[in-house]
Amino acid sequence: METKDQKKHRKKNSGPKAEKKRKRHLQDLQLGDEEDARKRNPKAFAVQSAVRMARSFHRTQDLKTKKHHIPVVDRTPLEPPPIVVVVMGPPKVGKSTLIQCLIRNFTRQKLTEIRGPVTIVSGKKRRLTIIECGCDINVMIDLAKVADLVLMLIDASFGFEMETFEFLNICQVHGFPKIMGVLTHLDSFKYNKQLKKTKKRLKHRFWTEVYPGAKLFYLSGMVHGEYQNQEIHNLGRFITVMKFRPLTWQTSHPYILVDRMEDLTNPEDIRTNIKCDRKVSLYGYLRGAHLKNRSQIHMPGDFAVSDVSFLPDPCALPEQQKKRCLNEKEKLVYAPLSGVGGVLYDKDAVYVDLGGSHGFQESDEARPTHELVQSLISTHSTIDAKMASSRVTLFSDSKPLGSEDIDNQGLWMPKEEKQMDLKTGRVRRKAIFGDEEDESGDSDDENDEEMSEGDSLENSSSDDETEKEEDAEMADKEYMTGKGVKRQRLEEMEEDVEVDLPAFADSDDDLERSSEEEEAEEADESSEEEDSASEGERDILESKAVGEGSKAGLSDSLNPEKSLTMKKAILTTSDSGHCTAEEAFASEDESEESSSLSTEGEDSENEEVTRKKIPESSQVVSGQKLGLENLINETSDVEDLLREEESYKEENKFPTETSGALKWKEDLSRKAAEAFLRQQQATPNLRKLIYGTVTEDNEEDDDDTREEIGGLFRVSQPARECKHKADSLDCSRFHVEAPHDWDLEEVMNSIRDCFVTGKWEEDKDAAKILAEDEELYGDFEDLETGDVHKGKSGPDTQIEDVEEEVKEEIDRSTEESAKKKHLDKKRKLKEMFDAEYDEGESTYFDDLKGEMQKQAQLNRAEFEDQDDEARVQYEGFRPGMYVRIEIENVPCEFVLNFDPHYPIILGGLGNSEGNVGYVQMRLKKHRWYKKILKSRDPIIFSVGWRRFQTIPLYYIEDHNGRQRLLKYTPQHMHCGATFWGPITPQGTGFLAVQSVSGVMPDFRIAATGVVLDLDKSIKIVKKLKLTGFPFKIFKNTSFIKGMFNSALEVAKFEGAVIRTVSGIRGQIKKALRAPEGAFRASFEDKLLMSDIVFMRTWYPVSIPAFYNPVTSLLKPVGEKDTWSGMRTTGQLRLAHGVKLKPNKDSLYKPIMRQKKHFNSLHIPKALQKALPFKNKPKTQAKAGKVPKDRLRPAVVREPHERKILALLDALSTVHSQKMKKAKVQQHLHNKEHFKAKQKEEEEKLKRQKDLRKKLFRIQGQKERRNQKSSLKGPEEQSK
Amino acid sequence: MATQAHSLSYAGCNFLRQRLVLSTLSGRPVKIRKIRARDDNPGLRDFEASFIRLLDKITNGSRIEINQTGTTLYYQPGLLYGGSVEHDCSVLRSIGYYLESLLCLAPFMKHPLRIVLRGVTNDQTDPSVDVLKATALPLLKQFGIDGESFELKIVRRGMPPGGGGEVFFSCPVRKVLKPIQLTDPGKIKRIRGMAYSVRVSPQMANRIVDSARSILNKFIPDIYIYTDHMKGVNSGKSPGFGLSLVAETTNGTFLSAELASNPQGQGTAVLPEDVGRNCARLLLEEIYRYLCLQGGCVDSTNQSLALLLMTLGQQDVSKVLLGPLSPYTIEFLRHLKSFFQIMFKIETRPCGEELKGGDKVLMTCVGIGFSNLSKTLK
Repeated sequence: METKDQKKHRKKNSGPKAEKKRKRHLQDLQLGDEEDARKRNPKAFAVQSAVRMARSFHRTQDLKTKKHHIPVVDRTPLEPPPIVVVVMGPPKVGKSTLIQCLIRNFTRQKLTEIRGPVTIVSGKKRRLTIIECGCDINVMIDLAKVADLVLMLIDASFGFEMETFEFLNICQVHGFPKIMGVLTHLDSFKYNKQLKKTKKRLKHRFWTEVYPGAKLFYLSGMVHGEYQNQEIHNLGRFITVMKFRPLTWQTSHPYILVDRMEDLTNPEDIRTNIKCDRKVSLYGYLRGAHLKNRSQIHMPGDFAVSDVSFLPDPCALPEQQKKRCLNEKEKLVYAPLSGVGGVLYDKDAVYVDLGGSHGFQESDEARPTHELVQSLISTHSTIDAKMASSRVTLFSDSKPLGSEDIDNQGLWMPKEEKQMDLKTGRVRRKAIFGDEEDESGDSDDENDEEMSEGDSLENSSSDDETEKEEDAEMADKEYMTGKGVKRQRLEEMEEDVEVDLPAFADSDDDLERSSEEEEAEEADESSEEEDSASEGERDILESKAVGEGSKAGLSDSLNPEKSLTMKKAILTTSDSGHCTAEEAFASEDESEESSSLSTEGEDSENEEVTRKKIPESSQVVSGQKLGLENLINETSDVEDLLREEESYKEENKFPTETSGALKWKEDLSRKAAEAFLRQQQATPNLRKLIYGTVTEDNEEDDDDTREEIGGLFRVSQPARECKHKADSLDCSRFHVEAPHDWDLEEVMNSIRDCFVTGKWEEDKDAAKILAEDEELYGDFEDLETGDVHKGKSGPDTQIEDVEEEVKEEIDRSTEESAKKKHLDKKRKLKEMFDAEYDEGESTYFDDLKGEMQKQAQLNRAEFEDQDDEARVQYEGFRPGMYVRIEIENVPCEFVLNFDPHYPIILGGLGNSEGNVGYVQMRLKKHRWYKKILKSRDPIIFSVGWRRFQTIPLYYIEDHNGRQRLLKYTPQHMHCGATFWGPITPQGTGFLAVQSVSGVMPDFRIAATGVVLDLDKSIKIVKKLKLTGFPFKIFKNTSFIKGMFNSALEVAKFEGAVIRTVSGIRGQIKKALRAPEGAFRASFEDKLLMSDIVFMRTWYPVSIPAFYNPVTSLLKPVGEKDTWSGMRTTGQLRLAHGVKLKPNKDSLYKPIMRQKKHFNSLHIPKALQKALPFKNKPKTQAKAGKVPKDRLRPAVVREPHERKILALLDALSTVHSQKMKKAKVQQHLHNKEHFKAKQKEEEEKLKRQKDLRKKLFRIQGQKERRNQKSSLKGPEEQSK
Repeated sequence: MATQAHSLSYAGCNFLRQRLVLSTLSGRPVKIRKIRARDDNPGLRDFEASFIRLLDKITNGSRIEINQTGTTLYYQPGLLYGGSVEHDCSVLRSIGYYLESLLCLAPFMKHPLRIVLRGVTNDQTDPSVDVLKATALPLLKQFGIDGESFELKIVRRGMPPGGGGEVFFSCPVRKVLKPIQLTDPGKIKRIRGMAYSVRVSPQMANRIVDSARSILNKFIPDIYIYTDHMKGVNSGKSPGFGLSLVAETTNGTFLSAELASNPQGQGTAVLPEDVGRNCARLLLEEIYRYLCLQGGCVDSTNQSLALLLMTLGQQDVSKVLLGPLSPYTIEFLRHLKSFFQIMFKIETRPCGEELKGGDKVLMTCVGIGFSNLSKTLK
């Protein structure tokens, strides 16, 4: 027993002792000190076989290149969206428990019920969105498309279930996300060996399905209904460090996993018609690619985005920090559908905070808050309805105000009202109260409340304040408390500002304002345009700020307060996207500043004007002016620009009263102002010119601003420039209207530098570079002669050389050091050369990778310095943003039957991906699917974002490219499939299922494949045989009828190949006149009248234009997995009990074979003659008719004669019988005799044989004796 | 389906080509109303009808509806098909009018486009085939559209009003385009040109060359102007002559200018010397506008083509430096916004202290990640 417990001795593998041992060992072998075997024994590593070496080299190269992936531009944003972790598994496998454990692991917070996606911060740079996936195939398909990581739960006690494999196959089709298996229920194994075996078996099966070595995680057992902490922690670590490869579909399309949904429909509309189309707003992190406003998205069904806006991140990553781990406050969790998340007040609803993750320390306190939020979510009346019923007490002693009170007074736009956004608020305030003051007071109040609320939240005291807050906020405020007071204040300011707007007539955007208001009247408020408008304003402000900045450099000390305001302005613009230019005018000093600004503008304006007035006689024209003139001379379009410019100038001129006071500034700032003006004129105006007027144009078309006369006629006032612009010449040439006089020297000089012969820039001038080179590489040594040439040592620019220079000074005294230095230099040069040389050998792959990297860097850097509002305009909403999407005309069932357990995925569609056409695919029936698929049976496809039912046709491509229709898919082969449906880019994978409803016992995925081609027409054909019959046969020519109906039809097929059933080939020649549709045809042989002639033709088939999106999300709660679309004919027949009437010809009948009757053989006479007599048919000439006289008379016997004859007959019979017997006797006798004779013969032979044997033996003996004697002979003789 | 919902509506016949081309590329239907509605001769002109017919030829499944008077056009684009096509262009506009649009569409066909266009090769309104060959093709090459079959050949020259010219254009198909960064135009290293004359004395071309060289020689010695005198059946139906000049920079930017004689029977006769001189001056003017100081990298005729191909690139940043934007380009930018929701970041580079040359505009955009939906996957 003792020995068993003892540890085994372990040899040391490292350390001094091991080293010593190794050395001794080497010495024992008499190998010396050399460690490296290659050096010690070079012969052993010599090249043995060049071929083998080449082969091994090839192999290593192959392996190396196999590792390469095609490099792609890395487009992941700096702040990536949370990673989507899909927890998938069959029922009762422990999915929810796992999610709960994971959330608890990361956030120290326990969620009681999980509905929909949960977003958590898992690390300093990573967030996770965890979502559960049941075994409804709709959900599985949807989630496989958005998953980054799949946790595949497998019940080890049971083994794999069909859902697991189905999900794996779905994943495979839609780009393979990372998949990690998790084995649960491992505690149900009693014996360790069995457990081990099961683990191994499952692991290997999993590996064959995913890839060898795929991670499989084991969750050993439950403790108090939860998995073991350590294991969950490890799993979490795995998830947080996991790397992902971008999937093509996901990176090329924007998509959103919706984690919140609000109904924005006007409650009045719902009241009048509960089934009316809804307007909803959906929230979620944007992933994948950039999303553009107004683009098309796919929810279930295609919709156009009516508005997108980005919101502050509700589950933000922690700020940059040096710490190793997150503190408790940063471990956020956000899951509005489960009723957890930061406080959020926005356009649509109010969310109440639960006190963050750290508020959950006293675990059970969470319950009531949950309920509160739950009540908010699960409420059936919409927020608007609630708002309508809610009452607000503004002052302590006033009577509570309901929304109807307010509505009655100020509302003139019911449609707007339901939007509950800033606009209505603004209007309402104007109408009812003494607007701004109240508003600001109100907001101040809120502000205070807000602050106190923040405190109260920290103290986690009570909820009622928040509730009150909520009520107040119902009056359409938009801000976010979670972000603290500062931001909120900013946003309030913004609101104030927007309210204040009309008061400032001098703002340079009254144009936009008016257009905005027009839009408002049109009641199709488009916030995009508004955005662009405000964008434009902000740009102007920015440019002003820039101009000012340059000026401030000059006069900062003179006007400190101004710089302060300026800073403020910059701050505001940088801080919140919604800040507009008007903010600068909000306060008094700011307005002062603006006036000073505008005076400057005006000054420069004046200058500009005077400059323009200078006649063009002097040909040296300023470039800018020239550009301007060019533009002026452009007729139509540029008029817009000018008009705009003018209006812009006018706007600038407005506040001139104060200019006198600030006159002293003029000289100082003139130069700055000039630059500023130029900047101003160019940037915003060009932008405005291009993008600002677009909206105007459209409005001009849409507006019915024409006057009415007598209510019947309308005065048509063609918009002057609009008309001639609209119908002018469509030409892309840009004519020069005011050419220079190129004979003048000055003008010529102006472009002389554009040629290679002209002056170059400092850094590119050849002479200069040459000179520099000389300075750099002045010293050189003639190696042959050993002379050292020294150049003039000039001021060196390179750092190394400077260093060396210094060195030189120090070591000048000794010759040796100089030499050393020289060597050093040489070595350095050599190193440089080597490095360059090595780099020069970079492969194509490296170049490509470098290029991609460069592009990625450029992509990141280009818009980095701009604020989000501007970026969104240029590149769209970038992935990682938390966005709110408004969609109109959503079916009411979407809202009524909303179930948070079912994920909603908004998939962005590319250009023309919303169109329909014919989609051709390569398809293969899944090897595990039991049946084969039939053409024209409706089937459900999942392609791109979509799930839809359609009617495909299967085809196979013949060797000549013909696409021939197939009735059924082949069993184990790819075939083509075409359906009419939404266009999806080529190379997209797809899968097909026969039905998505209910649970089927077998594997549900019917087929998989890839999209090959998109088109608007198809070329699938099926075979059509036309038959005809000969009605007249000449030698090789026959007349055929019954194949066509008219001569025209024949004409179409002249020259076509025809064939008889017996295999005689022929060709259609020409139509005949007589029977309509008959034709002449020639064959390679003569036909028989019984032949059937046929022609093989191909008939194009049409595809039914049937496209039916799977609207499983619209089904009532609990029935979401019962969607069934069109039924197949087979199912219909079964349901209605209709039996298929078979074709009579197809039925089997008993085979009745006719007796075959052969004609007698006829041999031609000539042949007969040639035959030998033996084979000649021996036909006697028929005896001719015997003449009557030759005819012998019949013999009539007498009775006596008859008796004699009978006797003779009897005798002859007896005789013949006797003879027969005798013959038999004789035969027997002969046989016996033959036998006896044979016996005798045998005996004789035997005797002879014996005799011969004897004879030969004697003879042999004799011979041997003779031989012996002859061998011995001479010896005996010698003896 | 939401397919019908997102159609666009415009009024007037101006920029018809842009609208139809962008509609085809974006797949959004377009409706154009009030086409010369108040004109004495309302409706579409012959050359526009011919253009629409051309679009119909190179696409599959397009739906075109024109009302009785021709004042309203509804165009629902199909998929670009390509293949071998022949088209007789209207002689009212030159082939350049059609070719400009074809250059935008050709890389996105199902089958490589091989098209023969017949009509007027050079006229005074549109960019001629010579200029497009010299400037647009190198520009397309920057975007990765290249290959053996990428060519534009003038088989016959035809001058207005008779026409009779023939051009062969073939272009390979690409699935995706490369993003470009064209911000440094370099300096002009050579000037090439083509002086052509048909049905007039061959001496005309030589006279043009001499006069053009007399001006350009002051700037750069590397000038070669080819003379192209076409005879017989290759000379079209009307007499005429003209010159097109192209300046190439060290970085592969091409600037062009061209001038043609007045068509027979219209206007006064012009001297070939005047044509040569004026054309050379136009080129200098173009150089002044586009290259002076920082410089633009694409000349005025191809601005919109460059912007379109940038838009249709991958989701990467493309940059190009342009000279002053032509009205055509400005409208094109607006159309790009409405069709593709793409907005360019426009930075103006003011032209230095000396105030020379036109304003330079740095256009930056992120491509929409367009991929050729027509191309068949094998």
